[in-house]
Amino acid sequence: MNPLIDLALTLLGLQSLLALLRPPATGFLPLSLGGSGLLLLAAGLQAWIANAQMAPLDATAGFYVALLGALYLGVGPYLREYLSHHEPRRAGLETFLLPLFAAAMVGVLLSPPGYTFLFLWEGMALLGYLLIAREGPAALAGSRAFFLASRLSGAGLLLALILLARKEPLVGGLEHLVWAGLVLGFGTKAALFPLHAWLPKAHPVAMSPLSALLSGGMVKLGLYGLYRAQGWAGPPPGWVGWLLVGLGLAGAVYALARGLAEEDYKGVLAYSSVENLNLLLAALGGYFLLASPFFWLAFFFHQAAHALFKGLLFLGSGALPAREISRLGGLHRLLPRTASWSFLAALAAAGLPPMAGFLFEWYLYQGFLAASQGTGALPLLVLGVGVVALVGALAAVSYVRLFGLTFLGQPRSPQAGEARELGRFGQLGMGVLAGLLLCLSLFPQALLPAAAKEHLRLYPVLPLSLALVALGGGLVYLLSRKPRRVYDTWDCGFNALTPQMQLGALGYSEQLLRLFPFVELKAHLFRQGLLDPPRVRLEVGDWLLALETRLALGYAALAHRVQRLQSGSLHLYLLLQFLALLFALGVVWR
Amino acid sequence: MSALLFLLLAPLFTGSLKWFKARLQNRVGPDPLYDYKNLLKLWRKTWIRPQGSSPLFLLAPVVSLLGVALAAAFLPLKSASAGTLGISFAGDFLVLVYLLNLGRFFQVLAALDAGSAFGGQGSYREGLLSVLTEPGTVLALGAAGLASGSLSLADFSPLSQGNALVYILALVALSLALLAEGARMPVDDPTTHLELTMIHEAQLLDHSGPLLALYELSAGMKLLVYTGLIALLLPFGGLSFPAALLLAWLGLAYLETYGVRLRYLRLPDLMSYNTLMGILAVLGVVLRFRI
Repeated sequence: MNPLIDLALTLLGLQSLLALLRPPATGFLPLSLGGSGLLLLAAGLQAWIANAQMAPLDATAGFYVALLGALYLGVGPYLREYLSHHEPRRAGLETFLLPLFAAAMVGVLLSPPGYTFLFLWEGMALLGYLLIAREGPAALAGSRAFFLASRLSGAGLLLALILLARKEPLVGGLEHLVWAGLVLGFGTKAALFPLHAWLPKAHPVAMSPLSALLSGGMVKLGLYGLYRAQGWAGPPPGWVGWLLVGLGLAGAVYALARGLAEEDYKGVLAYSSVENLNLLLAALGGYFLLASPFFWLAFFFHQAAHALFKGLLFLGSGALPAREISRLGGLHRLLPRTASWSFLAALAAAGLPPMAGFLFEWYLYQGFLAASQGTGALPLLVLGVGVVALVGALAAVSYVRLFGLTFLGQPRSPQAGEARELGRFGQLGMGVLAGLLLCLSLFPQALLPAAAKEHLRLYPVLPLSLALVALGGGLVYLLSRKPRRVYDTWDCGFNALTPQMQLGALGYSEQLLRLFPFVELKAHLFRQGLLDPPRVRLEVGDWLLALETRLALGYAALAHRVQRLQSGSLHLYLLLQFLALLFALGVVWR
Repeated sequence: MSALLFLLLAPLFTGSLKWFKARLQNRVGPDPLYDYKNLLKLWRKTWIRPQGSSPLFLLAPVVSLLGVALAAAFLPLKSASAGTLGISFAGDFLVLVYLLNLGRFFQVLAALDAGSAFGGQGSYREGLLSVLTEPGTVLALGAAGLASGSLSLADFSPLSQGNALVYILALVALSLALLAEGARMPVDDPTTHLELTMIHEAQLLDHSGPLLALYELSAGMKLLVYTGLIALLLPFGGLSFPAALLLAWLGLAYLETYGVRLRYLRLPDLMSYNTLMGILAVLGVVLRFRI
């Protein structure tokens, strides 16, 4: 194997060992996790750009290895600072688990489909679960949802991999079964709507650097699996493509609308992850159906971009004094650097031109428009253009709300006045990710393998950014030389503007949510005392969540019934064993 | 080139529109060149920075203007003498739409910056409007592109018998988008004095002097960019853009004299026609309907 990768995995292993021997050992994290990230980035990019064909590190694996490497490079220094605020015992355990989790993710990419793959896949899920569960009682529901989703994903994969392991050609409807298993297994991990429910529960409760690793890195492995599975199980049947496009587009709109009803800063980010992943799945589905290079480009570019900007946003969320947007505000004064990094990432996440996020939407539009040349029902895919436009507009509103209410305006609670900026290592981590994001945005052609360059069509991104910066800089210079004075905000002459008069998190999105009947905001008027002024409380009603609750209750009732089998009666157990034996014999005998 | 042209033309368009509207309403009205003088006056004034605002407050008008100006640069104006002006490549209409979005993103953020209640209201209203408008606009332009067999604005073929159905649907969608994006009646009232009912103006409440001048200029240019998009679909050759300008000028003046502003909560009803026209236009291309 590639010596760089060996070295990176050794570094991660050594870090875990050190955390066991001399906890908490957080001081070495920039070197070990960050250093391994650098090595992985170098090795992965090399394989990807050279379009390497040799397993295990071929071009596809190389892309994902580089993606993980870039994340580790940013998260490593950040973690050193972040974990130094934890008590030593806890920090030690996290320093032990995190490198193992990081190594397991890389291992998944380098192993062939089979036992090793399944082992590492489950190991990655288990380590992720342990790390989330370390957050204590508040994270209980989230970590359990994560665990259950991993079980579901594992079950689907087990089915598919067992069938694939028979080494016989897939005939007679078996390929449909295999692909169903793959879609269930990898789709759950990649938050395919409606299997996404675990993600907005689990990612917000994890600590910020872990959320960055989960949202930026781990969920991409589901996409990797689906893309890679073409090589394992042959070209996917037509329904897989249609399913991915349909559910992906529906899920993107749903997740954005639901994210607008979310008050938790990290919750909004988690729903935004669901949206991006579903759009990526739609792009992959389009690629399966049409084999258009636009979808291929969209799929790969945006995974890199999403890993970087979502990692950056989650790292930035670690500096916030509270998670509820309604209690934040005006933080750009106390956290100027975090605000700038987050703004850069929000610009990319909203899909605006000079940044990488726009390139994705641009390719996606052209992919859907190219569907008009298809046969049969394929031309109807052109309507996907409208959905992508809707998603683009909604994403912009969602990030305006997120960034504007958190970092701009006036502080909405005393807590928001007490934020403390992250120190050197935290800034270094975020700066690395921001730098990589800028490079990806301005020089997208540098990321492409030579073989794909002929398919590449770009809009003039560099001249456009140069024009923006040069003309913008000139205008700002002119304006800053103009006379100005600082004065109060316009208050209609009443002199009574208070921070409470700014829009709240749900107030901002209330009117927009009227367009989406599946997410409902209910307003309740209530008074604390007889003489207190009435206050408005907004509640979110979501029919998917209601359905999920029903399902969970039904499942619990079913489990209760099944538990009767476990009665301790020897006769019943013997009967069951006998029946199982009969079944096994029947299968073998034919 | 077209950006510079629009920069010079925008104040004339908005100024003369005010004058013509006043005449229709039996008022004397301002000088048609009033907007040039107003911009010059605003540019020379002191500007006020609200307490505790961020650098975005200054950046927003700049990016708003640049977004529109760069979007205008992608607009190929067919003129009789100079051939085609502007930068063009496949998929350029998407870059154009998203450059307009870039300006709006900054503007909507800056509205939250001062921490006033009205700014926030303007901000989310504009957001709602963009969500309502964008699918229809992109679908209509995409349909026109597919009908002309090229995704580059420069190669959009003009209205003809073969593509009449698709183009008329697309033109209706784009005209509705012009009203919404230009903040004109029946979507928004550019002359209102009441902060509570404003959409576009509520976001600019705290910007003054040169910053306000940039915002006003970019709002005028945005109207012209949408007019330019409409002109691309019209069949009058080199005269398309002047014709579209004249149509927009007359249409807006009459609409704002005889029409009323819609209640804000009724906007989705109006703009759903925009989306519907876009969808129908795309279906028209895909299913190859002909009249």
